[in-house]
Amino acid sequence: MRFGIILLLLIAAVSVVGSLIPQGNEPAYYAKIYGSGHPWILLLGLDNVFKGWVFIALTVLLSLNLTLCSVVRIRKTVSEGKDLLENVSRLPDAGSATPEEIGKIKQHLKSKRCREKQFDCGTVYYKNLLGRYGTFVTHLAILLTVVFGALALSLPIVTDQTCYPGNSITMKDGTEIYVDSFSIEDEEGNLNYNSFVQLTLSDGRQSEIQQIRVNYPLSFRGYKVYQQTYGTAGSVEVVNARTGGQDVFILEESAFLSTDGMNGIFYRDLYPGFVKDGNGNYTLITSTSGSYPDPVYDIAIMSEGEQTDVLAFPGDEITLGDFKYVFNDPVEYPGLRIKHTPNLVNVLLLISFVLLTAGLYMTFFTVPSLVKVSGTGYAVAGPKPEADRIEIEMILKNGETNL
Amino acid sequence: MNALFFGSLILLFAASALQMIGSVFKKEKLSKIAWIVFLTAFAALSVFIVIRGFSAKRVPLANQFEFATAFAWGICLMLAVLRLRYKADWISAVAIPAAFIVLSYAALQPKEITDLMPALKSSWFVFHIGSAVFSYSAFIIAGCVGLRYILASKKENADELKLHRMDYMSYRMIAFGFLMLTITILTGALWAEQAWSSFWTWDPKEVWALITWIIYAVYLHLRLRSKKSGIKMAWFALIAVPVVLFTFAGVNTLIPGLHSYG
Ligand code: HEM
Repeated sequence: MRFGIILLLLIAAVSVVGSLIPQGNEPAYYAKIYGSGHPWILLLGLDNVFKGWVFIALTVLLSLNLTLCSVVRIRKTVSEGKDLLENVSRLPDAGSATPEEIGKIKQHLKSKRCREKQFDCGTVYYKNLLGRYGTFVTHLAILLTVVFGALALSLPIVTDQTCYPGNSITMKDGTEIYVDSFSIEDEEGNLNYNSFVQLTLSDGRQSEIQQIRVNYPLSFRGYKVYQQTYGTAGSVEVVNARTGGQDVFILEESAFLSTDGMNGIFYRDLYPGFVKDGNGNYTLITSTSGSYPDPVYDIAIMSEGEQTDVLAFPGDEITLGDFKYVFNDPVEYPGLRIKHTPNLVNVLLLISFVLLTAGLYMTFFTVPSLVKVSGTGYAVAGPKPEADRIEIEMILKNGETNL
Repeated sequence: MNALFFGSLILLFAASALQMIGSVFKKEKLSKIAWIVFLTAFAALSVFIVIRGFSAKRVPLANQFEFATAFAWGICLMLAVLRLRYKADWISAVAIPAAFIVLSYAALQPKEITDLMPALKSSWFVFHIGSAVFSYSAFIIAGCVGLRYILASKKENADELKLHRMDYMSYRMIAFGFLMLTITILTGALWAEQAWSSFWTWDPKEVWALITWIIYAVYLHLRLRSKKSGIKMAWFALIAVPVVLFTFAGVNTLIPGLHSYG
């Protein structure tokens, strides 16, 4: 067990380092923060401690050590289990007691709902014998958690994508995610970004159209689609008055809407809102956490070599030659995360979690009681005899127990 | 509503002072008064938390103020259980001040009721944060019992049985805290997968929860190994408390990460 404890402490020490040095950044970042010491950080892999060989080696060693310990302990526990009660009955008295005290001890053990079995050398009071396997279950569950946890962290293929409502994303394996609609806020105006999406596998199997929001992804055949982020993009409709042709441009970054490269609208940015003072001057609001309350287009009109900077609002129209530019309400769109994992890994990890909780419960809350009471004294046995020992000592000392 | 909170804080301070004086000068009566004052503070704090929950229309565990308040409440609850159920009167002199210190930390936090951010709107919320409250409280109480052990063991002709009971109680609190912390970590992993797609992101808060978990796993093993108990384990239980406090408050304020919700 000593080696196990040393490994645990080393893992804790490496984790401290990993929590204090920001992880997974570019070398330039470390050069900026740690100056001349940064080559050491990179050389020792301190920029990616938890994926580095030291951490992985320690975890593998701990798992091996744990396996070994568990095998040795479980064999001992199982072999001790044979004739357990009879062996306990043969233990010599560890403490002596008067008949009156023995009566109290028996009374106490009965009130703890211990069962009793008579043997030649005395009566054995016992309960929670299954609790002897608690630490085995705990250790086994830790092993399973490490193994399936590592798989659950390394196997998934994760892709982040944005998609405008009404459009689809097609994955490399042919799986398609259709975004039916999206909104940033709910009807009451609370931030609650959510999409309605549908997933179609390459073999044609299809999920229902389902609402997704943070904490409620769509889950279908090993795929999960998460509502991750959101964005707002400008939307400008360009109409050709001569041909009647029209096109809608969704604008996420600056763009020049022009057919000849000279005349047209230069789109710089879209702002969530503005404040207008008494003189008619605008101050633009640069950020907001929800929908844009009063969207403003920051544009430049390029005409005959001249540039005029203006602000445009949804509903505004600007005509330049044959072209009419109509500024629409902005388009809100989701940032989706698509994850593909073998479902079995997640299920096995979940089972390991349940087993770990159950193992710890068994270890700490179904502690076995094994007490032999003879005509002249008593003996306490089992893997954790402490509680029974203290209780009996208290009975002998004070006549009562309140452990 | 703030009056209830600050009322509990003042009452806890009064109970701490009375209890300490009572313990140092062995004045039974003062200790009894301290106990009544403490129970009043505990009741007021409980009412405050319930009212806050109703006003916010959610479980009041969503920010550092609410969590710290629940943490102080958890310490009070465990102290009350240990005294009433196990007659561990000796624990009050350290546990009441501990609850007062944690509640004072809460008092320094912004107190307005805020809407839950989308990532917190989940059914895992109550299990994850609720188990963290009980786990931290149990570790703090274990540290308090450890401190009492250290003080009691210094006395000449110290009562061996009493020391043994203290040692065992500290161990039981750590065992309970360990189970609760395990639940915190596991539900956190399941929640992270639902919210962010990955069970574990090595976010500093996650890492420190793991470090705390490992430290207490070491305690449990050391205690079993060659049956080490008594003064060494009492020191361990006490020295581990700053680690818990760092995981609770230090990480959020000193290291940025996903858990920095304010
Ligand atoms: C993450 C790592 C580990 C955790 C969380 C863990 C957890 C536990 C727990 C909760 C107990 C029960 C303690 C008690 O009843 O008070 C225990 C007991 C024990 N552990 Fe571990 N353990 C870990 C690693 C190890 C390793 C690596 C070894 C071996 C080298 C080991 C050997 C033992 C032994 C021998 C016992 C006593 C078993 C018994 O009494 O039946 N553990 N462990």
